[in-house]
Amino acid sequence: MSASQFNKGMDFLRDAVAEATVLWWSFFDWLALVESRQLLITYFLVFAFGVIVNLPEAAVWFIIISYGVKVLAGGKRKAELVAKDATAQADVATLERRLAEARMATLQAQVEPHFLFNTLALIGQLIETDPPQAAKIHMHLIEYLRATLPQMRAAAGGTTLGRQVQLSRAYLAIMQARMKERLAINFDVPDYLEHAPFPPMMLLILIENSIKHGLEPKIEGGQIDVSATLIGGTMHVNVRDNGVGFNMKSDEGVGLANVRERLRILYGDKAELVIEAPEGGGALCSIRVPFSMMEKH
Amino acid sequence: MASPEKTVRALIVDDESPMRDQLRARLHDVWPELVIAAEASNGIEAVSMADLHKPDIIFLDIRMPGQSGIEAARHLYNRCHIVFVTAYDQYAVDAFEQGAMDYLLKPVTADRLQMTCTRLRAQLESAPADIGEQLQQLTQLLQRGEAKKPEYLRWIQAQVGNSLRMISTREILFFQSDEKYTVVQTAQAEMLIRKTLKELADELDPDEFWRIHRSTLVRVDAIAEVTRDERGRQMLKVKGFPTALEVSRNHANLFQQM
Repeated sequence: MSASQFNKGMDFLRDAVAEATVLWWSFFDWLALVESRQLLITYFLVFAFGVIVNLPEAAVWFIIISYGVKVLAGGKRKAELVAKDATAQADVATLERRLAEARMATLQAQVEPHFLFNTLALIGQLIETDPPQAAKIHMHLIEYLRATLPQMRAAAGGTTLGRQVQLSRAYLAIMQARMKERLAINFDVPDYLEHAPFPPMMLLILIENSIKHGLEPKIEGGQIDVSATLIGGTMHVNVRDNGVGFNMKSDEGVGLANVRERLRILYGDKAELVIEAPEGGGALCSIRVPFSMMEKH
Repeated sequence: MASPEKTVRALIVDDESPMRDQLRARLHDVWPELVIAAEASNGIEAVSMADLHKPDIIFLDIRMPGQSGIEAARHLYNRCHIVFVTAYDQYAVDAFEQGAMDYLLKPVTADRLQMTCTRLRAQLESAPADIGEQLQQLTQLLQRGEAKKPEYLRWIQAQVGNSLRMISTREILFFQSDEKYTVVQTAQAEMLIRKTLKELADELDPDEFWRIHRSTLVRVDAIAEVTRDERGRQMLKVKGFPTALEVSRNHANLFQQM
């Protein structure tokens, strides 16, 4: 009993000391930064108060000591506070720079010349052998370029999951025309998620990664599954392939790093990119963002 | 010129079947007597088809699954004449120009193919050119373009619930050894792995992760600052993580200049 009372007393004492420390430091900071004119007025008020309560001596001591503290330690403290402020500003500047860099990297990472030239070669071939199919691939290529070319993308503004899925379908239709039976595609995105806002290019980057590192290097090819689900208040957008899987010694690449960086800038801790090695082999990448119903117009 | 009795046989290798169809059709137009002995869709298949059919000429795509056209060519160049086919490969095309190797750009045009076929007809009498050394150089060139440091570990696997999570080393702030496990700390989560700190230190890029303590391995890019505490120990702050990590005396020299 007495031990617990003693503990309570100690806790109270500790809190009081902590509170006093905080108050002292805020007084100290104020003292360090306050301008002399304002300080003079304060001293006058303190002195007047001291006279009223009949303690002019204490007021004088207060004035002398606080002035001494300001002269002796104020300069250093002031420099510290200014430095802290500058650091905070620098952090904001760093964040802004990183956002700009992340945007730049997205712009540069897109439209691989290899993809473009191979697709154009395919269209050339199809014009001779299968003109309707050529026209289809041609339309898909236009849709892909409209979304990925930097000049075209600048004006795009906010985009929805549905829009990103549509773009991904265009890209995969092109890849399927090239890889033929080596590529199987499956989409499972419920209608009610199509209007949810979703950042541009991220889904496509995951899909391009799956094709490039998972399925293209695999001789017999494989399947890619694109799905979206709502779990709690979080929307999971998944890209899964049954390709060659991870090379433990090759870097994750600019694309994924860029997706992660942009998610962090856009949503802070509320979004994440989760990468898994599924049991059957291959790779699973999942973008998890807070779900919101509709885009505001 | 090849003697009229002898049939000339060729192999077409490309992983995309529409491209094989196109080349076959073009070849039929410009060189009707040429027999297409077989087609292959990757480098490994190309080598076995070449063993089986003994072609005089191989048309080889460069980027293919399994084994690239360049790698396949290293097995084949002293047996038959090789023509590379590519849609876009800046390194390779430069190298072909310099090494006087024959190559075609997709989509293959009739005029360009005609030129190649005329050259091939003239060369068929003689043995294929020795391009072994050039291919070797080209292989190195292409690998350098792709991956810089393939020798270090870039992914960490951690069991999270029922799934096997893949964590890129770029995401990791630090590793810290616990009694039995090693803790992997990212900005968002803390996970346990069985790999020991010693194993990690051996496998990870020493420029990417530094050992600052017997039980701590920190990612260099994640270091925010190093300060001294009231007991004179060096304490290391990591970006986006509240608690400071201790730098042991043995590793204090890492931050001497700071």
